[in-house]
Amino acid sequence: MHHIRYFLAVSETLNFSRAAERCNVAQPSLTRAIKALEAELGGELLRRERALSHLTELGQRMHPMLRQCYEAAHAAKTLADSIRKREVAPLSVAVSHTVALAPFTPRLRELSRVIPGLQLKLRRGSGSEIAEYLKSGETELVIAGPLSEAWSRLDTFPLYDEPFDLVVSRTHGLATRNRVEFKDLASETFLINTGCEMVEELRACLGAHGALNAVIHEVMTQEDLLALLKANLGIAIVPVGAAKTNDLCQVPLEQLDLVRRVSVYTVAGRHRGIACGTLLNMLRAADWSFRHGDAARAVSP
Amino acid sequence: MAERALSDILEDTFVRCRGLELPLADRLQAFADEVGRLVPHFAVAVDKLVKRLAENNAGATAPKVGEPMPTFLLPDERGRLVTLDDLLGEGPVAIAFHRGYWCPYCRINIDALARAEEEIAAEHHHVAAIVPDRQRFAVWLKSDAKAPFPVLTDMDNGYAMSLGLAICVGEEMKHMMVSSGWDPSVSQGTDNWVLPIPATFIVGTDGIIRGRFVDPDYRMRMAIEDMLAALRLAR
Repeated sequence: MHHIRYFLAVSETLNFSRAAERCNVAQPSLTRAIKALEAELGGELLRRERALSHLTELGQRMHPMLRQCYEAAHAAKTLADSIRKREVAPLSVAVSHTVALAPFTPRLRELSRVIPGLQLKLRRGSGSEIAEYLKSGETELVIAGPLSEAWSRLDTFPLYDEPFDLVVSRTHGLATRNRVEFKDLASETFLINTGCEMVEELRACLGAHGALNAVIHEVMTQEDLLALLKANLGIAIVPVGAAKTNDLCQVPLEQLDLVRRVSVYTVAGRHRGIACGTLLNMLRAADWSFRHGDAARAVSP
Repeated sequence: MAERALSDILEDTFVRCRGLELPLADRLQAFADEVGRLVPHFAVAVDKLVKRLAENNAGATAPKVGEPMPTFLLPDERGRLVTLDDLLGEGPVAIAFHRGYWCPYCRINIDALARAEEEIAAEHHHVAAIVPDRQRFAVWLKSDAKAPFPVLTDMDNGYAMSLGLAICVGEEMKHMMVSSGWDPSVSQGTDNWVLPIPATFIVGTDGIIRGRFVDPDYRMRMAIEDMLAALRLAR
């Protein structure tokens, strides 16, 4: 395992002597360990030059994998000890407004059973808000649909695909229909949550089906969207998991093929608390294929 | 007609070898012999990989008999978090690392452990398997062998790696495995192409290792009799 730690130190400092200093090891030992790792991986990882070393093509390819492995091993080492000592384990999670919490609560309960020192801080927000929490370090782990942030340090682990569906109030005329088509919606008022991660795709979908000329009310949170839906101020196309309440019903909408991928996000290279690391592994290991009956599909990598 | 993947072709052979009324080592050997006979180039690549691992002392730093077994916290096939302490609370335990649900040797090994369950349980001993596969695949592996013991998920081989038991598959073997229909990246949920050495540790209720088997040749597994004997010694 120390082989990988040394390799990661060199790839960050690009300098063998500085890396040796950082790892608190003599330079020849560091060089030997890297040679051993290279033998194991079957190729040169680092090209050594006087002042600045650089990663070979193989080194660049192996770097994310070795980093992930090292983090996983490091977490495994510290975790159980910390639980035995009943240390305080803070966990800061942010979940998009549009993602239902229900499938995650049993996991959080299981986590709190095993980690007695767990201190959970749960936030909700729009995609861009929670991405900002993650960037600034206010939160360690985010659960959301696709984030528009293009950020190289964002680690994305897909969980499941969730289809969108038409949702209306039980008192709405469409509530009794077995299925509808977009042309049936010409005179309807649409409600749109502008804080939804997929709002652009949703607008594009409405546009493609000629529904953009309809009246559109905008809200900024899922809570307000549901409130207006229940009050029958309009209809909405939303991810199916986010609108499961007794006052609302789903109506199958022909030609609607909008699907979003719900993922868990963390920041690469940032220290993860034990609770965060364990929750991340639980979420990644979990079987999501039955989440919405046949509607949602578990995702392969 | 679409060409059948090697994994499909070998499935019948595998089922026959698994079903043999022979000790575990003989069943593993029977399957390895069939691979050598049916697909000699694959067997050559396996030998090469095992040779490389042996030369690099893979697994040499794993915890030894008399040392404490580092504890862990891993989800089982139902998503319940399990620690080593939980398991030891019920008696001595055999911790058996496996490569994955797709590996025929692991399926023979799990089958042998399941067959030995009566003897294991009679003395209040336990088994726990650890795989890098996600729950869906852990469930499959467990039900395939009708195994009564938990199958724990070690995401990214984190625990295995912290014990010095994780190995890189390497490019040549990776291509050969993919083209043969064995792709652990699907079940692992990561395309790291890291696998655990399928080691077994017998741990006493004091957390001390009383027996172990570590061989980078994944066709070799701890004999069931040796495991039972070590469990009897562990109190």
